[in-house]
Amino acid sequence: MSSIFLAVVVLFPIVGGALIPLLPFRSRAQMMVYTEGVVLLNSILAIALLLNRPAGEFVLLRFTSNLTLSFRIDGLGTVFAGLISVLWPLATLYAFEYMKHEEHEKFFFMFYTITFGITMGIALAEDIVTMYCFYEMLTLVTLPLVIHTLTREAVLAGRTYLYYSLGGAAFAFIGVIFILIYGTSPEFVAGGVLDLAKIGDRTNLLLLIYVLCFFGFSVKAAMFPFSGWLPKAGVAPTPVTALLHAVAVVKAGAFATMRITYYSFGTEFLRGTWAQTAVLIPIIITIVYGCSRALKETHLKRRLAWSTVSNLSYILFGTALMTPLGLVGALCHMICHAVIKICSFFCAGAVICQSGREYIHQLDGLGKKMPKTFVIFTISGLALMGVPGLAGFISKWNLVKAALDSTHPLAVVGVAALMISALLTAIYMLTISVRAFVLNAPSETKNTAEHKIVPYEEVRDPGWMMLLPLVLFIAAMVVIGLHPEPLIDAFTQIASALS
Amino acid sequence: MGIWILIPVFLPVIVGVLYLMPFKKDEFGDGDKESLDRLHRLTAVVMVVSAALALLAAWSGENSYTWFELMEGIPIYFQIDGISRLFVTVFSIAWVLVCFYSFTYMGHEGNERRFFGFYLIVYGVLVALCFAGNLVTLYLFYELMTLTSMPMVLHSGSRESIMAALKYLFYSMCGAYLGLFAIFFLYKYCDSITFTAGGTLNLALAQGHTGILLAAVMAALIGFGAKAGMFPLHAWLPTAHPVAPAPASAVLSGIIAKAGVLSIIRVMFYIVGADFIRGTWVQTAWMTLSLLTVFMGSMLAFREKVFKKRLAYSTVSQVSYILFGLSVLSPTGMEGALLHVVFHAFIKCALFLTAGIFIFQAGYSRVDQLEGIGKKMPKTLWCFTFASLALVGIPPASGFISKWYLAQGALEAEIGVFRWVGPAILLLSALLTAGYLLSIVTNGFFPKVKDAVHGAVVAKASSASDVVQESAAAVAVGAGHGMDMTKAADAVQESASDGADAHHASGGEITEAPLGMLIPLAIFAALSILLGVFPNPLIQFVSGIAATVL
Repeated sequence: MSSIFLAVVVLFPIVGGALIPLLPFRSRAQMMVYTEGVVLLNSILAIALLLNRPAGEFVLLRFTSNLTLSFRIDGLGTVFAGLISVLWPLATLYAFEYMKHEEHEKFFFMFYTITFGITMGIALAEDIVTMYCFYEMLTLVTLPLVIHTLTREAVLAGRTYLYYSLGGAAFAFIGVIFILIYGTSPEFVAGGVLDLAKIGDRTNLLLLIYVLCFFGFSVKAAMFPFSGWLPKAGVAPTPVTALLHAVAVVKAGAFATMRITYYSFGTEFLRGTWAQTAVLIPIIITIVYGCSRALKETHLKRRLAWSTVSNLSYILFGTALMTPLGLVGALCHMICHAVIKICSFFCAGAVICQSGREYIHQLDGLGKKMPKTFVIFTISGLALMGVPGLAGFISKWNLVKAALDSTHPLAVVGVAALMISALLTAIYMLTISVRAFVLNAPSETKNTAEHKIVPYEEVRDPGWMMLLPLVLFIAAMVVIGLHPEPLIDAFTQIASALS
Repeated sequence: MGIWILIPVFLPVIVGVLYLMPFKKDEFGDGDKESLDRLHRLTAVVMVVSAALALLAAWSGENSYTWFELMEGIPIYFQIDGISRLFVTVFSIAWVLVCFYSFTYMGHEGNERRFFGFYLIVYGVLVALCFAGNLVTLYLFYELMTLTSMPMVLHSGSRESIMAALKYLFYSMCGAYLGLFAIFFLYKYCDSITFTAGGTLNLALAQGHTGILLAAVMAALIGFGAKAGMFPLHAWLPTAHPVAPAPASAVLSGIIAKAGVLSIIRVMFYIVGADFIRGTWVQTAWMTLSLLTVFMGSMLAFREKVFKKRLAYSTVSQVSYILFGLSVLSPTGMEGALLHVVFHAFIKCALFLTAGIFIFQAGYSRVDQLEGIGKKMPKTLWCFTFASLALVGIPPASGFISKWYLAQGALEAEIGVFRWVGPAILLLSALLTAGYLLSIVTNGFFPKVKDAVHGAVVAKASSASDVVQESAAAVAVGAGHGMDMTKAADAVQESASDGADAHHASGGEITEAPLGMLIPLAIFAALSILLGVFPNPLIQFVSGIAATVL
């Protein structure tokens, strides 16, 4: 396909989304059809594009001779772009049913659709400047989605999100500058672009910059100590938490760290240095820390958010191993975790939407009323903790394989952290299922009427628009879990370009 | 050969899953007697057919089958060898007999369709576990076993049972992840992860990484030891086994604990190889932990007053006999261990089924309530007596044979001071076993004089105040044992429900158990004696296995 389509898949949802509040829809159904149409069309286009990759680049804007906004597609970009293209239409479908009761729907779907384009821009960015621009834009367009409900809590969460993200981006920006100065080109090249002749004896400075840049980008991937914003942002409507805060936004952070590690600074330069140790330590801490906080959390969505914190650091761990195998593990977990976590978030959203219950202790006995939702939730929990035969095991296996293959002494510690985290995952996910299926519902108290809580007897499974994505995700987990070979082969091919 | 060895895996699993599907309430197994009969008939047929197919698959030659490739070089692979045959045979016999017992027993627990659904599923998973031909397949079914057997623990749905089930789940998961940690390392340093007698560890590759490998092996030992109730991950067992319905306790203790043993055998003798661990700190730690568990389990059983809890502590102790037999790494020790796998499975099933009968017929769940029970339920108590004698190890009952081999194995192995410490602790534990089991027998047949007079009156008089007193006593006992508060609270609840049961039972005269329960019990008791009287074929079989791996 022609390389102009690279710009089309980025710009089309941005324009299409921006038009939503302007177009005179006569009914909600029309808006739904229009939105889903835009998203679906773009996804199809994107997937077609990924299958017939254009070799050339497409320059959208040229600031100066070497500062451009330009797109090109490579293996790593394919994975991320493919992931979001598959998930976005499903999440949009889910959002229609979920947002039925919320206000300002048009603006919600406007920003939701625009975000698709922006994320696509990150995936397809040819150079570090383009990626940085879209990365900043991502923060700005997702902010309205976080504060959507306009409650005090949501506004505060939005503010936190903004501060963390912009702060992180500022650190990342330092890295961008240094790459522009010390690199041979701003473009992403497998193996890195650093010009060793220019660096001379400033190796340690460059390593320091790498660490700052990594920390900066990993703010979006919620690495400790920058993880606080993610659970807070859980006040957003579930389609946002599920798609953006479990997949698009946070994985954009992880994706950016992969880009700078493998494609800008280059693993040759970094591997075995103190910089690697400096990034591995907080990552390993986050793996355990996120799970522990999840265990302590009693709010359903926030528990899942903490779980995301931990799982994102699995991806960062694979990245920071700085070996081709590590990248395979990281990509594998990026895909598997995306599917699993969006599924469990959607289940949580279905529970909140159908029953009005948000805290785990309120879920007692709900499994009898919403059996489909909770069976799906349980399966996603099993996948997350890594039961063989489901997706989570595959990614964990590849991560550990990479870790044991790496010579870094912290790798074994990381493996231990993964196991501890798996155990904690089992605890915080399965207690929910056991509560829902085995315990009896508590007798209703009067004050439940004040909130949005639906009486126990009236709770039921959600409609097909919510269930269909869930079923598809479960199918994906099983397929990846039982037949991961094509996926792993593809990742190995991407990683083999590095060495 | 091929996929048909998986039929005994899939048949019970599929039928079990169908049981769990939401039918209309009273159609099948949830309504009147007729629907229950339908459920029982179908379960019996499926159970017997799958067990027969499993045995057929196991005993019809060397079979192997690759189901599919999970990842490159990691197939889900099944292969049948001596160990598979031994374990699948024991598991199948016990599972079928306990199944028939459950038809009667579960009548008073209710929710039978769910119980039998999971019961069948777990059987399928266990067969797959026995047939598993490599580490990843083993791990897969090990996890599935934990997940599918958990609902049997929380069957009653009481708060206590749910907490116990969660404890079971978390300890097992902790163990499984320790095991997985080891599997990662073994995958890296072994030639293949397919089970091969004698091990597949690549010593050249392992050169220089011995320290970390031994640590990984130790992790596997502790991890899989969790299912076998080995210290330090034993604490779930005495909590979880007793709260399950009696037939579930029987299979949990008799069979599923052995799945931990099976996994340890597979890792130690079929992947790592005995030579690698012989004389290392891992072997010392293994022997120490297992002996510690043997002694501790017996002591705790001796002090425990709740019948099923006492039996659970006994399991903790007895399964570690097996682990000790394996840890000495001598052929005789391994023979003893494998024999004890068989004997303990049947004996412990018999003991738990007896406990179930006492609860079912009389509502008695504490040993001090069993005073004079032999007068009313002589057949049950006789079966219990035979099984107890076998567990203590009185010749010619079966336990004697296995313990003889275990002690012999320890004496002939090159293990330094453990050569005599081991047998001494086994002997001491046997004495304690006699103490905690035979005291029940003597009290049951020969009640103290004053209790003989009051007999049933004691049970009848258990009023609310008694319950309160009992609870207080239980708390005191709990504190004395250094148990944590939840355990003490468990005990309170338990004794409260005991009171209720006893009250309930006192409405009618206590009579002998119905045949549906008595016959499986009698078969188990007979097996535990007869296998001791005619042990030769079995000994030949296990020595064949031991000779291949050591």
